[in-house]
Amino acid sequence: MQVPNKENFIETLQLPKDVCLGALRVTLTGNREAWIENYRGILEYTDKMILLQAKTCQVCFEGSRLSIDYYTNEDMKISGCIGCVRYL
Amino acid sequence: MIGILKFLKGYLMIRVWGFSPERFMNLCSNKNILLWNITKEEDAYSMCISLQGFYQLKEIARKTGTRVVICKRYGLPFLIPAIWARKFFLVGLFLAVSFWMWSTFFIWDIELAGNYQITEDVFVTFLHSQEVTIGMPKEKLDIAALEKEIRKEFPQITWTSAKLSGTKLQIDIKENDAPIMPMETGEKPAANLVAETEGTIVSMIVRKGVPVVAIGDVIEKGTLLVDGKVPVMNEDGTVREYQYVQADADILVEHTRFFQATLPFDYIQKQYTGRTKERFFLRVGEQEWKMPENKPFLLYDSVIATKRPMLFEKLSVPVFLGSYTHREYLNVEYEYTLEQATELLNQKINTFIRTLEEKGVQIIEKNVKIDTNGGKWILSGEFLVRELVGKAEEIVKEELPEINTEVGENNTQ
Repeated sequence: MQVPNKENFIETLQLPKDVCLGALRVTLTGNREAWIENYRGILEYTDKMILLQAKTCQVCFEGSRLSIDYYTNEDMKISGCIGCVRYL
Repeated sequence: MIGILKFLKGYLMIRVWGFSPERFMNLCSNKNILLWNITKEEDAYSMCISLQGFYQLKEIARKTGTRVVICKRYGLPFLIPAIWARKFFLVGLFLAVSFWMWSTFFIWDIELAGNYQITEDVFVTFLHSQEVTIGMPKEKLDIAALEKEIRKEFPQITWTSAKLSGTKLQIDIKENDAPIMPMETGEKPAANLVAETEGTIVSMIVRKGVPVVAIGDVIEKGTLLVDGKVPVMNEDGTVREYQYVQADADILVEHTRFFQATLPFDYIQKQYTGRTKERFFLRVGEQEWKMPENKPFLLYDSVIATKRPMLFEKLSVPVFLGSYTHREYLNVEYEYTLEQATELLNQKINTFIRTLEEKGVQIIEKNVKIDTNGGKWILSGEFLVRELVGKAEEIVKEELPEINTEVGENNTQ
């Protein structure tokens, strides 16, 4: 008998994963703006790269002229020319 | 809205550098300190932070080994001391705004539109009599009563509308183009017709009343023409009673009218020398200030020109600029030539004839001659005319003695 893990359980109940699993939520508008929720903090910030720590992974925004429009405990907004988003 | 709130609460632009600026940002977010516009400038980071958040930074900066400096200050809390330093300016501003608001409680301009026959001077005099003046408080103005008074005072005004737009009282009127007919009263009083001129009666049509004269009669001024007291006869020919009516008749009388007009040989005419002097004045409301001056010329007349600068007109501020232009003239004596005199006298007689025609007078014969006498041109004319006569003269009713009906009854028995 297969032991149901947490992910399957949430999948079955159709619960939002970002809330229950604490998964990172990234909303991209074109390559100019990105809204990020459920992060832990900033690990590194330069105008070419922003590295964020999430619960289970790290995410790296690369591009040019990157800046943080606002930064709160809940969410943040990155603007600039985003070249790629990498999960580490 | 968020921008306004940020401005009201005040915020700072800070520069952060040191061991771990990223940790500095993380700790700020953990403590619910909002950061925005975070940009990297070489080794340091610039960001905006609320004034309230800035006071909590000391601990964070110590923990993260960063240094924080203020680059710029924004918002109301930083403006107040600067404003306070200019308190006289503030007081002035407050007084100016207060004065401006207070002045809106008054009427500063009166505009009249739609008048053709009634001149503005006449209307302004009327408004003064109604105590409607420039500078009066708005609350003292009763627009409905004013409109009523306008219609009462000027019967030729058929429609009027007064309205206050801002500090301007705008009066629109519409005048009647047709001539005004006198109102006929419902019940006409009993009246006789009497002659207002002498002459010979040539035609007579009596509609009401008892004619006293006949065609061909020569009447004097004041002669009774038609009696408004109509007797009602008994069978035996005695007067039973009188019915009083307003006598009505067309009675045409032929008589001679005389006309005389004189014109002196010489007359005085102004001859302008071409020399003028101007005197400027400033008028604010009813008050007027003129530039001082001596008597400009021995003989002169003045032309007044008033204008209001565009700005004051738009703002309805009663400030007028104007000038008196004094024009010097000489009194020069001229003599009328025969042609001139004839023309002028002809004009006079033509006016007289036109007046007669307007009254419905028929001219049968006319005899006009121009003469000179005692330094004057004299025009004398004799007109044989036919015109309607008859002026209503109210009758004083007299009570008839009561007829003894008992006697009458006894007789029949």
